[in-house]
Amino acid sequence: MWTRVITIAAALCVACAQPDQQAPPGKLAGIRVVDLVPVSLSGETWQDAEPFLALYGSNPKLMAASAFTPNPGGSASATAPIFVSDDGGDSWTLRNTLPSEAMTADITHAVGGNPPVLYAGIIKVPEFPLNELKAADFFSPATMTLQASRPDIDQPFVRATEVSSADRVYVGLNDFDAPDGRTATVDVSLNGGATFASRRIETRTTVGQNGPSIRPALAQDHTVYVAYFGWRSNTASNVTSDVVVVRDDSGATGATPFRDLVDPSDHLPGRLVATHVTIPWSNAPTLGQERIGSTLSIAVDALHSDNVYLAWADRAGTGDIYTVHVRRSTDRGATWSGDLRTLTNATDASLAVSTNGTVGLLYQQVTGSTGTGDASRWVTHLEQSRDGFATHQDVVLATAPATTPTFQFLPYIGDYNCLLTRGSEFLGIFSANNTPDSANFPQGVVYQRHVDFPTHRLLDGSGAPVAVSIDPFFFSVPVLP
Amino acid sequence: MHTRSATLLTFALSLLGSPAVTQMSRAALVKQSDIVFIGTVTQVGAVAVSEVPASARTVVARVDQVLEKPAAVDLKPGDSVTVQTVRPGSLKAGTQATFYTTGWIFGRGVAVREVGHELGHSPVVVADQQEAVARARRDVNDAELRAHIQKAAMVVAGRVEQVRPAELAATPARPKRITEHDADWQEAIIQVEDGLKGAQAGQQVVVRFPGSHDDAWVGTPRFAVGQEGTFLLHKDSTTGSPSAMIAGLSVPAYTALHKLDVLPKQDAPHIRDLIRKP
Repeated sequence: MWTRVITIAAALCVACAQPDQQAPPGKLAGIRVVDLVPVSLSGETWQDAEPFLALYGSNPKLMAASAFTPNPGGSASATAPIFVSDDGGDSWTLRNTLPSEAMTADITHAVGGNPPVLYAGIIKVPEFPLNELKAADFFSPATMTLQASRPDIDQPFVRATEVSSADRVYVGLNDFDAPDGRTATVDVSLNGGATFASRRIETRTTVGQNGPSIRPALAQDHTVYVAYFGWRSNTASNVTSDVVVVRDDSGATGATPFRDLVDPSDHLPGRLVATHVTIPWSNAPTLGQERIGSTLSIAVDALHSDNVYLAWADRAGTGDIYTVHVRRSTDRGATWSGDLRTLTNATDASLAVSTNGTVGLLYQQVTGSTGTGDASRWVTHLEQSRDGFATHQDVVLATAPATTPTFQFLPYIGDYNCLLTRGSEFLGIFSANNTPDSANFPQGVVYQRHVDFPTHRLLDGSGAPVAVSIDPFFFSVPVLP
Repeated sequence: MHTRSATLLTFALSLLGSPAVTQMSRAALVKQSDIVFIGTVTQVGAVAVSEVPASARTVVARVDQVLEKPAAVDLKPGDSVTVQTVRPGSLKAGTQATFYTTGWIFGRGVAVREVGHELGHSPVVVADQQEAVARARRDVNDAELRAHIQKAAMVVAGRVEQVRPAELAATPARPKRITEHDADWQEAIIQVEDGLKGAQAGQQVVVRFPGSHDDAWVGTPRFAVGQEGTFLLHKDSTTGSPSAMIAGLSVPAYTALHKLDVLPKQDAPHIRDLIRKP
């Protein structure tokens, strides 16, 4: 089985250039795909996009997840929900614990040490300030506690780790109030979220701001990498950008953090992994009803921090709409490979590196056309590689129509999704069309909500049909040994 | 069984029941609730499903009739619901009541937080309580609408004549930012046909609204040419640019960002009544 699905690099180059011709791999053992919407919300028809996942390291049963899922109580609700699981992702409940009216405008989160403290960064509704939140126990039904707040922030992206019984929290964010248009920022807390210091990581001249995605990645030796887009100029809807990685070797505990990786071209902090790439900034349904412009992910081998992977999306100019690139450094970001993967008309790339060094790449790709034809589909892939993508295993988790349902808002499926790893599994979450059709889920799927597979219908509690919508799907895939 | 309970439940109603009720009117209970049901307490200090934490404040209630719920929520007669009560010991097994609640935990079952309850005395038909709750909901909605009217600078019935991109004056305090949450402000020019508050028939007003599809603006009213309605307009304190241009003249700009700010044209007489009888 493995032999069949692990293909040689040359064949993959052909395949990635022609995604429409790539046949879905067969069903593999040990893979779970679970629709998060619980049975008691079987009538739900919202566009539950932009999912995120947090794992509790010491207890594999405990997980938290989020999406643009509203409080079922409606727009007048004072709180927004998160999903939690206490059985390793097999079942999920929705709890209204976020201090935001009905829904958030952005949310990511991470779990710290023991007890299972949950840290969340949200853009709160209304007024849209950043809220940095904490829950001492994420199973508590109490509203999360506000730790810090300020306006003019975009895309808070939370990572956390436990160091000597004190959680360190890193929130990558785009801070429009940062001086000199150098808006790429990491809010760093070394005391479990009690206080945060805003660390500016851009050292070069920008077009007036950085791109919205500022992504930290943490290793066990306290190395912290952060990837961001250094926006240098823009014309019409295209931004010319550098793709930059900074590094701090001591957990950003010093007075001038994130200066341990210098680019040889200008001797400034921040390695320029790619320069002058074209970012198509489109806040309109552009690729399979999705907007594009901020896809960025970085992952470090937690046990071997020399080894780091980076993925971003730009417009390659080969007739593509949006192309994901994956590169690797094995010397702490000093030098980088060329493209290990080049994925046309794809987005939502998320990387993770397992404890055995296997890298996982989650992404969602439009096939069939660019999302305007009836035959176009959003295909959700998880690729794994043990050799830096010289070879890889490709698993299709979902393949669903890209034209239905019609978008309610943007993002359609998400500006990002999430891939993590723990032990011998990759664990992640993505959003997709929720039609209960086994053909859409080649690895199988479990619904909590009422469905009728023979007729491909969603049902409410009375058995009445429910319209197809976008749902978040949790998955786990065994790591290649 | 369910049908029978739905049509002629011998169920009790009393406003003299728990302290939660005596301290709060039915309208106040309705205002704070999104799930309202008639139910019978079956267990005290217990939960209906294991995913909900049991405590002295939790009871299990069998649903006899659902009076209000969000469409997404799967709740029907016969279901067991976990209720986190306002006070421990306030409900005993066998008690029938109307439960005013908000959603708490949604999983294999529904768990709700009690806002309050009305104890029952038999016999009262379900239809009576349905009508009472519906009437309270109408009162709550009217009160909310009245508050919006009072806050509005202008209330008009009219027609959208034109939609155009807003030209906002850049200010040092608000430099142009590129963000997916950008509102992409648009302007609708509304021809006033009936000035209900602060406007005259024949007047034109400029109303700003987000053209962005971003999630931050989901649910915000949008305008299209030819659209008719009753509009509650607020002076623009959102975009940072309080004036707009019509025919070369600078005029105040307005916004209508709440769902209650854009209503059907036929609601104008009702709104006029609310204005006259505050």
